[in-house]
Amino acid sequence: MRQNRKKIDPVGFALPVLLLLGWYGMVEGGAIPSYLLPGPLSILQVMVDFANGVGKLTPYSGKLIANLSASLLRVIVGFAIAMAFGLLLGFLTGRIAVVKRILDPTVHAIRTVPGIGWLPIAMVWFGVGEGTTVFLIALAAFFPIYINTAHGASEVPVLLIRAGRMLGADKVSLFQTVILPSAFPSVVVGLRLGLGVSWAYLVLGELTGVTTGLGAVMMDSRMMGQVEMILVSMVCIAIMGILTDRLLLRICGWILPYPGGEVK
Amino acid sequence: MSKDSVLRVQNVWKSFPSPTGGAPLDVLEDITFEIGKGDIVTLIGPSGCGKSTVLNLAAGFEIPDEGSLLFDDEPITAPSAKRGVVFQSPVLFPWLTVKQNIAYGLKLRKSDRNLIDEKCKEYIGMVGLDGFDHYYPHQLSGGMQQRVSLARVLIMEPKMLLMDEPFASLDAQTRFSMQQLLLSISEQLNPSILFITHDVEEALLLSDRIYVMSRLPGRIRHEIPISFSIPRDISLFSDPGFAELKRQILQRLFL
Repeated sequence: MRQNRKKIDPVGFALPVLLLLGWYGMVEGGAIPSYLLPGPLSILQVMVDFANGVGKLTPYSGKLIANLSASLLRVIVGFAIAMAFGLLLGFLTGRIAVVKRILDPTVHAIRTVPGIGWLPIAMVWFGVGEGTTVFLIALAAFFPIYINTAHGASEVPVLLIRAGRMLGADKVSLFQTVILPSAFPSVVVGLRLGLGVSWAYLVLGELTGVTTGLGAVMMDSRMMGQVEMILVSMVCIAIMGILTDRLLLRICGWILPYPGGEVK
Repeated sequence: MSKDSVLRVQNVWKSFPSPTGGAPLDVLEDITFEIGKGDIVTLIGPSGCGKSTVLNLAAGFEIPDEGSLLFDDEPITAPSAKRGVVFQSPVLFPWLTVKQNIAYGLKLRKSDRNLIDEKCKEYIGMVGLDGFDHYYPHQLSGGMQQRVSLARVLIMEPKMLLMDEPFASLDAQTRFSMQQLLLSISEQLNPSILFITHDVEEALLLSDRIYVMSRLPGRIRHEIPISFSIPRDISLFSDPGFAELKRQILQRLFL
């Protein structure tokens, strides 16, 4: 079945356009000094320059791809580690009572320490930079993946499992054909939440002093008074967050197309 | 004891632990009966009398506390595709289409692709769902979903069908057409059938033999052989013997 293409609701554009106009008016009219909040046009110029390097408006002119790919790579590595552990332990916890009893209390105890609270010890262990960033991403993304996978796996209806068994499924095929697909919507929710926090913790990790990456650009720009560049980096992260989320949904829909449209 | 019995239930006892930690709940007491080749046997009883538990034991979903269940003279230890189960609700895989649901068991068996296609076509036709191959369960009515759940077990050519109030949640007309479908399938394929119901007319329409169960703990109170001529259709309801048997069973159910 074809997925229903979402119709774009024009009403949704009203508020952003209004905000943009208000912003433009306030900056141009001098109500807000541009060293606090540059106007939308100058941000757009800096953004284009960040991408193509023609205008040489900032020290980061033309360095979008380099910084973006550095950040993206960290997110991918961190998220992949979180996914590997989250799915594996999540399914084990969700399906095997003993594993849940052993693992679950500890995981939830660790989870109560906010991810940001791991920053100092991560810097001690991994040093400033790459390792810390990836560690923070993997740690933060692990919990939503683990929790949602475990929830989905434990909520597979008993009757579906019985149906699979009486049609001849053994343990392995039961997992592939019943448990995995039945838990899949929950797994997708976990992965999306995990990917979301991956971008958040990317910025946290990169703020600590790596040389490349969108978070590093933000922090440097602040010190150099390049307010436009801070905002441009923020916009880049927002766009990347949306794009990677869409991509993840696509991949999930491709792995297991769910009836009635995409998994939401 | 007849030689060709397919399912043999001997002195089976079953209780379940109390959820509140009290005394265990005795569900079945000393259940003994057997089903011969091609027989349609119905267990009828008030709701909560343990009749579904008998079916779960026969399916291999549960194991008895005492006594034995033999299928083809082998003890039942786990579910098997030789004993197809039709549940009260259709229990289809919502992420699979009608055809994929029906093909599920054969795919697990790694049957040849062409053979699967061919058989799917045959069984989709048998349950009257031609043209609905690519629909998903949620797009079908309850009756159609139950047809799919019937087809997905029939395609495995089970020796036995275990049916747990399969038509109870359907409306009266749909239920009647499903009963007719089951009778025609039973004529074509001749599986042994263990049928659970609380509907006396349904039991009379379908069965070769009816066992009446008591309230909890469930015991088999009466065995009633049914000898209406086959094929059975709507004219059965005006048979004087039908009304008499119905009265007898109702009396026994409520005494």
